[in-house]
Amino acid sequence: MRVVIAEDLALLREGLVALLRENGIDVVAQAEDGPGLLRAIAGHEPDLAIVDVRLPPTFSDEGLRAAIEARRRQPALGVLVLSQYVETAYASELIGENTAGIGYLLKERIGDVRAFLDALTRVADGGTVLDRQVVTQLLVPRDGSTGALASLTARERDVLELMAEGRSNTAIAENLVVTPGAVEKHITNIFSKLDLPACDDDHRRVLAVLAYLRVAA
Amino acid sequence: MRNGAHMTSFAPAGAPRRWMPVLAAGLSRGEYARSLFRRLACLTAVLLTAIWALSGQGYFWPAWAWLGLAVPVLLDFTANWAWRHERGPVRRVACVWALVSVAAVILLLTWLLTWLLAGVHEFWPAWALLGLATAGSAYSLVALHDRVLVARGRRALRARIDMLTRTRRQAVDAQAAELRRIERDLHDGAQARLVALTLQLGRAEMRVDDQPEIRRLIREAQNEAHHAIAELRDLARGIVPPLLADRGLVAAVESLAARYGLGTSIHTDTRRTHPPAVESAAYFVVAEALTNTAKHAQARHSWVSMTDEHRALVVVVGDDGRGGADPDGSGLAGLRARVEALDGRLSVESAHSAGTTVKVSIPCG
Repeated sequence: MRVVIAEDLALLREGLVALLRENGIDVVAQAEDGPGLLRAIAGHEPDLAIVDVRLPPTFSDEGLRAAIEARRRQPALGVLVLSQYVETAYASELIGENTAGIGYLLKERIGDVRAFLDALTRVADGGTVLDRQVVTQLLVPRDGSTGALASLTARERDVLELMAEGRSNTAIAENLVVTPGAVEKHITNIFSKLDLPACDDDHRRVLAVLAYLRVAA
Repeated sequence: MRNGAHMTSFAPAGAPRRWMPVLAAGLSRGEYARSLFRRLACLTAVLLTAIWALSGQGYFWPAWAWLGLAVPVLLDFTANWAWRHERGPVRRVACVWALVSVAAVILLLTWLLTWLLAGVHEFWPAWALLGLATAGSAYSLVALHDRVLVARGRRALRARIDMLTRTRRQAVDAQAAELRRIERDLHDGAQARLVALTLQLGRAEMRVDDQPEIRRLIREAQNEAHHAIAELRDLARGIVPPLLADRGLVAAVESLAARYGLGTSIHTDTRRTHPPAVESAAYFVVAEALTNTAKHAQARHSWVSMTDEHRALVVVVGDDGRGGADPDGSGLAGLRARVEALDGRLSVESAHSAGTTVKVSIPCG
C-alpha cells in the first residue's frame, strides 16, 4: 500500500511514518500543508492519504479542504482524515456524495495499532470508517434524555459505534470480548430498533448507519 | 425658534398668547409694538434731522436725539439676546452682559459725539468702561463658578468612562485572544505529545506480542493517555469549540443546533467577522439557551436568529415551550455577566406557557 502523509507536527509525522514503515506500508511522500499534500498526491499517485485536519497556514480546516480537493481530483484515492476532535459537520462534508474510501478518526486511535492498520486497509480498499465519536455526537442529545439512542442498550450502542468504524462482526466481538453470535444478535436488535434494512456486508452496514445519522442530523 | 424666543421675552410667565389678535404678518402684539417703535424712531430721527436742516443748521443737535432713540432699540435687542439663554445663572450672566454692553455703547457713542461736536479729545470713558468690564466679569465668575467646576468634573468623568470602556474592551479582547492561544497551544503541545505517546506505546505493544503481562501494562498506560487526551479535548472545547475557531460563529451555531436534534430553524444575516470575544459569548449563549430548551421547555419548535443591527450583533434564541424559565438561573446569570462585560445586553422573556426567548445584543466597534 502506497501512502502519503500530511501532518505539520514533526513529532507526530515522524512517529506515524516509523509506525507505518515497520508494518510494511510504503510511505511515498510527506507534506506539511494543504498545497504540499495536493502536490504529493499528483506526483506519487498513492492509494491512501492520511491528512491532519488542522494544517498551516490557516490552522483551521485546511487539511479537510485539501482532502476534499484531493478526492475531487482523484476519486479513487482513499482519504483518512485524522483530528484531535470530531465535528460531525466535517464528517458529512468529507463524505459528500462519494462514501467510498473515506475515513475520519480521532488521532489517538493510532495507539491501537492493529485497529488503525485495519482501518487504513479498509479505507484504501474503498471502505468507510467513522470514529465512534461521530456516532456519539450525532445520536446522544446534550441532555441525554431523549433521542433515538434512548431505545438502545449500552452494549448495543457500543456495537453501533464499532459498526460505524466499519469493523467486521469478528472484530467487534473481539473488541467487546463477546462471542460473534452475541454481536449478531445485538446488530439485529439495533437494525430493528433504528428501522434500518438488515445487511451483512460491513461497508454497506456503515452506509446504512450513515444514512440513519444523516436523517438524525 | 426666533419668533418663539421673541414672544417669550414679552410673555415670560406662560405659553405664547396665540389667542391674541395678530396684527400684521403673523407677529405677536409685542413684536408688533417693537416693530412700530423701531419705525417711529427712524421716522423721528429723520424728521428731527430735517427740522435741523430747515432751521438754519448750526450745532448738530439731532445727534443727541439719535442717541436717545438708539438706546431703547439697543436695549430691546440685547434683552432679547439675553433671554434666549437657559433659565438660571447663565441667563442672569447674559442679562448683566447685555446691560454692560448697552452702557458701554452709550458711553462710546456719547464720547464720539462730544469728540465730533464739541472737540473733546480726551478719551474720558476709559475708566468707566474698565469698571463695567470688571464688574461684568466678576459677576460672571461668581455666578458661573459652580457651573465651570461641574463642567470640568463632567469632562473628567466622561474621559474616565471612555478610558474604562476602552481598556475593559481591550482586556476582554486580550483575554479572548489569550484563550484561543491556549487552545492552540494545547492542540499543538500537550495533546499532540500525548497522541505521540500513545503512538509510541502502540509500537512498543506490537513488539511484545508474546508477553501478555507487558502488553497489559502498555494497554493500561495507553488508557491513561486516552483519558488525559479526552480531558484536554473537553477543556479545549470549553475554551473555544473547534468549529467556532475554525469556521466562525454561523457554522458553529449550525452544528450546535443540529446536535440537539430539536429541529431548530436558523436564520443568519451576519456578514461581518466579529471579534473573538463577541463570537464566543454569542456561541455560549446559544448553547446554554438550546440546552435549556432541550431540558425543560418541551417545545415543538425552536429557532435561532443572528443579525447585524446598528453596529451590534443581535442573537435571539426562542422556543414555543412551556416558558417559566428563571432569567437569573445560574447558567444565564453567568452568560449575562459575560455579555455585559462586552457592553452587551441579555434579556429573557419566559412567561408561563408562552415559550422562552433569550435575546442578546453585543456592540461590535
